[in-house]
Amino acid sequence: MPLSSYDEIHETELNIMENQMPQPEGKADKWEPKIIAFLCNWCSYAGADLAGVSRLQYPPNTRIIRVPCSGRISPLLILRCLQHGADGVLVSGCHPGDCHYISGNYVARRKFAVLNNFLEYLGIEKGRVQFAWVSAAEGKKFAQLVQKITEDVRKLGPATKLVRKQV
Amino acid sequence: MKEVEIAKTDVVSLLDNLVRDYKVFAPVGQNSFVTFQEIHSGSEVSLDYINSKKPPKEIFFPQAERLFSYDLSKREGWRIEEPALKEQQSIIFGIRPCDARSLVLLDKVFDGKPYQDPYYTKKRKDTSIIALGCNQPCSTCFCTSLGGGPFSQDGSDLLLVDIGEKYTVQVLTEKGERLAKEHNEFKQAEPRSLSLMQDTIKTAESSIKPKIDVQRVIEKLDSMFDDHFWDLVSEKCLGCAICTYLCPTCHCFDITDEVMGQSGERVRTWDSCAFPSFTLEASGVNPRPANKERYRQRIMHKFNYFVANHGMAACVGCGRCIKECPVNLDIRVVLDSILNHQDAR
Amino acid sequence: MDTSIAIRDIARKLFDEKRVNLIIGFEQGSIPLHSTPCFVRNASEVDRLIWNANCENNLAKYLPKIKERVGIVAKGCDVRSIIGLIKEKQITREQVFIIGIPCQGIIDRRKIEARLGGEEIMEAEEENDTITLKGHNFKATIKKEEFLHDSCQACAHKNPVIYDTLIRDNVVEGQTVDGYKEVKEFEAKSPDERWQSFSDEVSKCIRCYACRNACPFCYCQECFVDSSQPQWIGKTTNLSDTAIFHIIRAFHLAGRCVDCGACDRACPMGIDLRKLSKKMEMDIKELFHYEAGISLEDVPPLATFNPDDPQEFIM
Repeated sequence: MPLSSYDEIHETELNIMENQMPQPEGKADKWEPKIIAFLCNWCSYAGADLAGVSRLQYPPNTRIIRVPCSGRISPLLILRCLQHGADGVLVSGCHPGDCHYISGNYVARRKFAVLNNFLEYLGIEKGRVQFAWVSAAEGKKFAQLVQKITEDVRKLGPATKLVRKQV
Repeated sequence: MKEVEIAKTDVVSLLDNLVRDYKVFAPVGQNSFVTFQEIHSGSEVSLDYINSKKPPKEIFFPQAERLFSYDLSKREGWRIEEPALKEQQSIIFGIRPCDARSLVLLDKVFDGKPYQDPYYTKKRKDTSIIALGCNQPCSTCFCTSLGGGPFSQDGSDLLLVDIGEKYTVQVLTEKGERLAKEHNEFKQAEPRSLSLMQDTIKTAESSIKPKIDVQRVIEKLDSMFDDHFWDLVSEKCLGCAICTYLCPTCHCFDITDEVMGQSGERVRTWDSCAFPSFTLEASGVNPRPANKERYRQRIMHKFNYFVANHGMAACVGCGRCIKECPVNLDIRVVLDSILNHQDAR
Repeated sequence: MDTSIAIRDIARKLFDEKRVNLIIGFEQGSIPLHSTPCFVRNASEVDRLIWNANCENNLAKYLPKIKERVGIVAKGCDVRSIIGLIKEKQITREQVFIIGIPCQGIIDRRKIEARLGGEEIMEAEEENDTITLKGHNFKATIKKEEFLHDSCQACAHKNPVIYDTLIRDNVVEGQTVDGYKEVKEFEAKSPDERWQSFSDEVSKCIRCYACRNACPFCYCQECFVDSSQPQWIGKTTNLSDTAIFHIIRAFHLAGRCVDCGACDRACPMGIDLRKLSKKMEMDIKELFHYEAGISLEDVPPLATFNPDDPQEFIM
């Protein structure tokens, strides 16, 4: 289902937060990390799709939001995830040089570098927000990536710092 | 009116006693960063201050207030919860007379006829005001131009006058009388104290200068709405909200729903007529499209419309807007310009 | 002082030669240690213009809305803002007549007030290197250089980088303080300490947006905080929304902020905003070798890219 407007991404993020995440049997009370993954349509999303078609197993904690290009990702989207209950955020796009829109991921790379440093500077735990390049052929890499970030976030525990509380 | 007195050395113990039975708000902080906060012991208070950074209106009219919260996610049914309006006797201690007056002004808005704001009035009715008069008004104070003064009694239940080793205390209302009776730190006032009090008051009142003829400003504004004057006077205004948020009488607010998925809350928050979005309509039309219209609104509201609606100018002359404005847009200078303004013919 | 007279002479000349319709400068403020922005439209008004160590506002803020030819009194940091605004096409180089002021630094009133322990300043008289302050119970003479604003102490471009006329001789360049020292000290703390420190600072915020409104680079028609569809952040003062406001504003200024300090001075609650902007500035320099406001030709760093940009953090 194509997602293009702020409203639709917003809706999807919030619905993901509110719906029950699948729990392992017999462990209904144990906290499971909630991870949002922004995947670019042309490479990373296709890579994720390949992981699925290849029947590769990876933890179910990640909800995917498809975007046209990693260049579309604004820090506001990432911070909003942390604000609304996500424990981790993964952002993935095409490898530099392979962007469907030629330079989207190049511009994104600069933004991500600045944001990554800034969030760490403010004390947001390293590993909550992670970035990757995943191509359409890298189904295995995607599965490993999700495995890694799930474990990293599990070790960090539930995100509390930016969570919005009631007045 | 009756007077009692209290030694400065007894103030901490008075506050310690008050804290046991009341929720006490008092000035806390240092230099120019004093704010009114809930205290739990008398030693937290600093009375050696000019005025608080934020006005005490936030005690009755908080910057963000939950009106109700809702939750649609429960399978048993939707839930809407209103926060309970708590029974809590409170005291504001050490407030300045201008700020005490500002509460009387806010009462006209939030506790008027035929509408009362329950969130405001509940807290207001349960609160007593112990004010501290100003021996040395600031050069930015202009309370006397607005019907107030460094020892104005408006809005206070008890008014403290600093006469050196002690405070004389003017007992102004029944609430004040009860407080004075219930606490033995308040003693009978000596005649010498009373005469010192009169001298202190006279000196302070005469030190505020100059006095602005606000009545004439009100009248002049009647015919100035369309004048080019507003383009010039508002040119340097940045359009931030410092003057409105730090003003003890400004009371504009917005009500929005803060949604977190299936649950959320409806909140009332401070808003400012200085922001373009304040009058932005759903169609995209904005009746106050530029800084000029918004600054005109500020002055007209305070010194013309509010007068027509409620009989007093919506300003108590505390001077916070003058001190804090990043571009030194001084409301006294604006009022003077209005008085000196010649109609373009 | 001489500088004030020189400014008035230039202003008069500009009006006489009909080279501008408007000159933005400073005039005497209404309270001690304040100067205030002044908009002058003809030669008869030029005597209002002054220059002193209280001329703290960044007048470039007023440029984006102006369509006519305008003269502007600009110190070193203001000129760097003007360069940025020209690059972002908010004003053209031809429109602006820059009256450049090699700047010796602006006084930080808060430092003086802190030293005076809350005593009110009733009078202030500025000399070459000193200011004499008088209050109800005191008289004190202070050295200007001991009370300069932090952004002035860290300034590396006190002399205007571009100008149409220079009002006085260049001053000696040189920072008296390393602008990144506090950033590096902050970085040395633990993540939890940093978050606690950051939260404590932004908890003071009353969302007046004076920082945003004082900044020449915050000229968006609709700021993200005012957006209601979608509503990125709420209107309350809760920590989450307020933190995101400051984080995103710092991010929006990455590669554009010239550290003029206007935001820091405008904030009524004394929030240390430069802790955020200096970190941005330091990273932009390290990552992309770019300094804002120095050249009219270079491209803003987040509007361009290099195939070899750093990416060790990307998996």
